[in-house]
Amino acid sequence: MPYPVDRRAFLRTAGAAAAALGPGAAVTSCGSEEPSTATLTWWDYFTLDNFQPGMNRLIKDIEAGVPDVRIERRTFPFAELDRQIALAAISGNLPDIAIVDNVAMNTLAGRDLLADLTDRAEKWGQADQYYKGPWDGCQVGGKTLGIPNNSNCLALYYNAGMLESAGVEPPTTWDELASAAQRLTSGDRYGLALSAIKTEEGVFQFLPFLWQAGGDLDTFTTYGATALSFLDDLIAKGSLSEQCVGWTQQDVNTRFLNQRAAMQINGPWQIPALKAADFDWNVVALPRDRQAATCLGGENWVLMANSKHLDKGWEVLQYTQRPSVLVPYLVAFGELPARKDLADQGTWASDPALRLFLSQLPLARPRQYGARYAEASQAVAEAEQAVLTGSASPSAAARTAAAKIDKALGKQ
Amino acid sequence: MAFLALFLAYPLFYNVWTSVHDVELGQLLGGAERFNGLENYRAVIDDPAFWHSVRLSLIFTLGSLLLQFAIGFALALLFARPFPLGGLLRSLLLVAWLLPPVVSGTLFRWLLDAESGAYNALFRAVGLDPLSHDWLTDPATSMAGVIFANIWVGVPFNMLLLLVGLHTIDPELHEAAAVDGASAWQRFSLITLPLMRPVSVTVLLLGLVYTFKVFDLIFVMTGGGPVDATRVLSLYVYEVFFTFFRFGQGAAAGLLLLVVPLLAGVFYVRRLRQEQEAPTGGAV
Repeated sequence: MPYPVDRRAFLRTAGAAAAALGPGAAVTSCGSEEPSTATLTWWDYFTLDNFQPGMNRLIKDIEAGVPDVRIERRTFPFAELDRQIALAAISGNLPDIAIVDNVAMNTLAGRDLLADLTDRAEKWGQADQYYKGPWDGCQVGGKTLGIPNNSNCLALYYNAGMLESAGVEPPTTWDELASAAQRLTSGDRYGLALSAIKTEEGVFQFLPFLWQAGGDLDTFTTYGATALSFLDDLIAKGSLSEQCVGWTQQDVNTRFLNQRAAMQINGPWQIPALKAADFDWNVVALPRDRQAATCLGGENWVLMANSKHLDKGWEVLQYTQRPSVLVPYLVAFGELPARKDLADQGTWASDPALRLFLSQLPLARPRQYGARYAEASQAVAEAEQAVLTGSASPSAAARTAAAKIDKALGKQ
Repeated sequence: MAFLALFLAYPLFYNVWTSVHDVELGQLLGGAERFNGLENYRAVIDDPAFWHSVRLSLIFTLGSLLLQFAIGFALALLFARPFPLGGLLRSLLLVAWLLPPVVSGTLFRWLLDAESGAYNALFRAVGLDPLSHDWLTDPATSMAGVIFANIWVGVPFNMLLLLVGLHTIDPELHEAAAVDGASAWQRFSLITLPLMRPVSVTVLLLGLVYTFKVFDLIFVMTGGGPVDATRVLSLYVYEVFFTFFRFGQGAAAGLLLLVVPLLAGVFYVRRLRQEQEAPTGGAV
């Protein structure tokens, strides 16, 4: 049975039609369609005020465009969503739809928690419209378990004035990054700022270094040591603050905005805040070592396996992928599309900073390592912290971490 | 009884049940939990990180308790005699104890921050530069940082209980001793201290139970880091539960976390009974 609040929401969305047809028509249509209306519960972690107009519009769009669907939305703080889903799995009160961090696919997938969308997605036939990283991030164990919601990745921001007065070009390789960072360091200003906090956020920022060195989690002993040594040198030369082991990406951006860091590694979600800065800045691809790499961020849409409204849920997901719905949503969120066919629409078609990030999406790699990824991720974070705080050498830290990573992933 | 059964026995039973089953995120839906005896306990005991966190918990608890108690005692002695604004100061001190741990944690995170923190600015301003330090981001000092914050939180509680204890001591005892020529130190060590023993034991035991399970303060200040320098037992349990989603092992580790406070509780109840049977000290 629909709740009274849904009836009101229904009337509101039916209002546009009612205005044309007259109040009598609205009442009759409401009465006849109500019984078949499905109420889908929807969870996400977009709690900040600036996300609400875009989200409200999206939901209104869905309710108006998908027949007989009402959305009942609940939001949780970012770090709480996965936990709430876990707790809901215990009590059996899972939502129908959720928007989850793409890295959460590791913990949620492969546990029969998420609905298998393989057949539906195949019939839909739009897989090739997505960038490889975001789409691959939704494929687990040969199944399609979600649809990308939006994508982002990391790049290197720099303070244009500082680079110019130091006579430094934006770095494109590790060597250039190291020397630029050193030349840009002076007084209480560091050349580079990045986040090495002991959470997934820090690992998100570290993995590109590992990949750029030519390695991955399964070759951490060697390439992990290379990446860790590079960062260790930056600290030793004073180009990077040891404090970064406690910084979130938000803290990093604050340093950059206060001009206490000449360069920072960060994502496109900082652009709105940076637009208010009273200095010139620009953004370039992350410097490469053996190869260019960046880490994929963003969210995926998933349906829960035990949902009673799987077909409706899938209809909703499909509907959101129409450019007329998706583009305004992404623009309102300041996020980038996961779809190649939207590259020439929206703000990212003209904004040079967003364009740079979009150009990096084909390179962006999802963190797709399976159900035990959280343990491997923690081992990486602890290795980085141990090296940057001087309590372990890069090679020793890499070896310790590699043992934990191997135990957590695959070699079990 | 129904209340106890619902809110205490059932969760406890469920926890014990979980601790002897193989429960992870995936099994929750399918109901495919498998009985695995003491395997979860073995996994926890075999985990070096568990023992590391036990060590850290003991350091955190002992460090906090001793200093909290000593400072609380000193302040109780100070406030035991009336002086101008004494009452106001005493109530102000209590604010520290009333603040939610998340607030005091955030406060100390900022106070101890290397670049913008008030303490470091103060040290530099008065020429004590060597004392200005990356307290919370250096693994060697982050434990000291969280203990410092916890002491600040715990002192008022200690002071309040000890102050009550001091008021139960008959002032005539001190007067008589003073007449007999006892020095201030003699009066303190021979009269006050012995008479304060029952209260002190209570305060220390309650402190032990509170401190051993502190979670939010440390979580907010360091998240258990840098590396694993402040990952005490409660943070370890949280991690196993909510980062790794290994519910069986988390339940096992959680029950092990109960051991120390439980022993303290048993010890306390036994003492209480002894005291009731054979009153010591207090009833002079």
